[in-house]
Amino acid sequence: MLQGIELTIHPGEFVGIVGASGSGKTTLMNIVGCLDRPSAGRYVLDGEDVSTLDDDALSLARNRSIGFVFQSFQLIPQLSVLENVEVPLYYGRRSRATRRARASELLASVGLSHRLRHHPAQLSGGECQRVAVARALANEPALILADEPTGNLDTQSGEDVMQLLFELHRAGRTIVMVTHNPEIAARLPRVVEMRDGAIQRDSGALAEAGR
Amino acid sequence: MRLEAFGEVLRLGLVNLLRNKLRTFLTMLGMIFGVGSVIAMLSVGAGARREILARIQKLGINNIIVHSIKPPEETKTDTQEENRWFAKYGLLFEDRELLEATCPSVDRVLPINLVKQPVWLGSRRVNAAVMGVLPEHLSMFHLAVARGRVFNEVDAQERKQVCVVRRGLVEDLQLLDDPVGMQVHLGNESYEIIGVLADARFRSHTREALAIDEHAQDVYIPYTTSMRNFGTMTYIQRAGTQEMSSVELDEMIVVAKETSLVRTTARMIEAVLRHNHKKKDYEIVVPLLQLEQQEQIQSVFNAVMIVIAAISLVVGGIGIANIMLATITERTREIGIRRAMGARRNDILLQFLTETAAIGVVGGLFGCLFGFVAVRAVVAFTGWQALTEPYYVLLALSISCLVAIAAGIYPARRAARMDPIGALRYQ
Repeated sequence: MLQGIELTIHPGEFVGIVGASGSGKTTLMNIVGCLDRPSAGRYVLDGEDVSTLDDDALSLARNRSIGFVFQSFQLIPQLSVLENVEVPLYYGRRSRATRRARASELLASVGLSHRLRHHPAQLSGGECQRVAVARALANEPALILADEPTGNLDTQSGEDVMQLLFELHRAGRTIVMVTHNPEIAARLPRVVEMRDGAIQRDSGALAEAGR
Repeated sequence: MRLEAFGEVLRLGLVNLLRNKLRTFLTMLGMIFGVGSVIAMLSVGAGARREILARIQKLGINNIIVHSIKPPEETKTDTQEENRWFAKYGLLFEDRELLEATCPSVDRVLPINLVKQPVWLGSRRVNAAVMGVLPEHLSMFHLAVARGRVFNEVDAQERKQVCVVRRGLVEDLQLLDDPVGMQVHLGNESYEIIGVLADARFRSHTREALAIDEHAQDVYIPYTTSMRNFGTMTYIQRAGTQEMSSVELDEMIVVAKETSLVRTTARMIEAVLRHNHKKKDYEIVVPLLQLEQQEQIQSVFNAVMIVIAAISLVVGGIGIANIMLATITERTREIGIRRAMGARRNDILLQFLTETAAIGVVGGLFGCLFGFVAVRAVVAFTGWQALTEPYYVLLALSISCLVAIAAGIYPARRAARMDPIGALRYQ
């Protein structure tokens, strides 16, 4: 699917990846998110080559270094908001008390302190996505990976989520975001455009070349 | 930390099971029936074993009981030419002597002189069977006294007018005082009650099986006394008819030297008696054979129960596997999410195995309850005995837990091996 990709993302960057469906951006996202391994080539995440790791080590890498924000939120419907945010902490082997405290704190930071005991079905789309962002931050990951985070939201909620992401970026987080929306892409500091499994244009590379 | 982690997994599993109570219950049904039948099988089996043991104790495993019986009516015409004014039939003193003398496997032969006589205490009357027995008879049949004493060789030699009675008789005579030392009348003679037997308490079924009820009013007197006072003649007066009969030996208990010799001895007795008696005026009862027959029936019953239990458990296991597969399909996205958040394959495996194990344990507990109810029902309807040992619960719980885990392995592995990307995209 992917051919000759060479992409470096520095800490603290906010990178948008755009491209038509079938352009290979999903595959790129899966590799970047440690959900898939490249059949050839290397992927160095946070200083560690993860392209040859086995399944358990890859799971650990996801747990420690990646925070996912999905288009369809991907919250576990049976769990409360608080429990959902606890999931990455749970697999990070944190004690129950630590998890509780950390999850509450994260939910407070996205403005959902009043929703801890609610279940995802009782929340609006925008609130769900904010829960997902809180969850993504749980283990202080090196990279936040957002896959069309505003795709399922109305304009206002989408804007709220975008504001939240920009805030995180300003706070020094590294974010990679896949988007279809050219308006949103236009607001990102760096945009990588994919086509037919290759990088067609990388504004960051231009900037770097121009530096 | 590991223990805490396991507690977390268990909590998660229970929460998931409670979320869908009806489905969980249906999943458990097979388990409940399986465990229930295991408990019922074990309990009824143990009860039957205890009953057989009681029977062995009662009848004596080495004993062969030979009764005198009245020959069938038709033979009466044959004997009419003899023109006796009373019927003479049954075992002869000679039979006993012959058996003791010729049969090497016979340890001894205990005679019984049986007389149906009412027992009188003042104006109160109770119908009873008066058994004239040797002193050793009582100890042989484990008939111990609750109060007073049994009769001994001296009583027998001096033909004392003493008797040992059963508690049932004491109750029927409505005696409130200590019966020991009281005088009762049997026939024309007065006897002193010297002992009251300690009757083992049996449940109704055992009572029936052992025909203990028939013996509830037994009165034991020394054989020698019985022979002197009653002799061999029996006079029965029924409405309109009178019957006289003479039976030398009403009953004899042949004691074999060893249990392994019981069958041979029984055959020898049969041969000797057939030779000595023209008519079949005797009946040979071999408790050992009866017991073996009963044990055989019991083993068939056990085999059926084991098969039922095994089938229920297998069906229960299949049910669990089936529901778990459905659950896993339904929760595919959850699995994908957990994997994306860093769950390893083993975490997913453990999560689902814990859920099935919890189904097993909870199902097993309900199964135990069901089993107790089933045992009660069986006891109530059939009158069988049942004995539920506490460790059956532990056994049943471990079986159900193992079956559930075995049933959960395939679905859990399937869940663990799901591709996280596909699972996340699953609709």
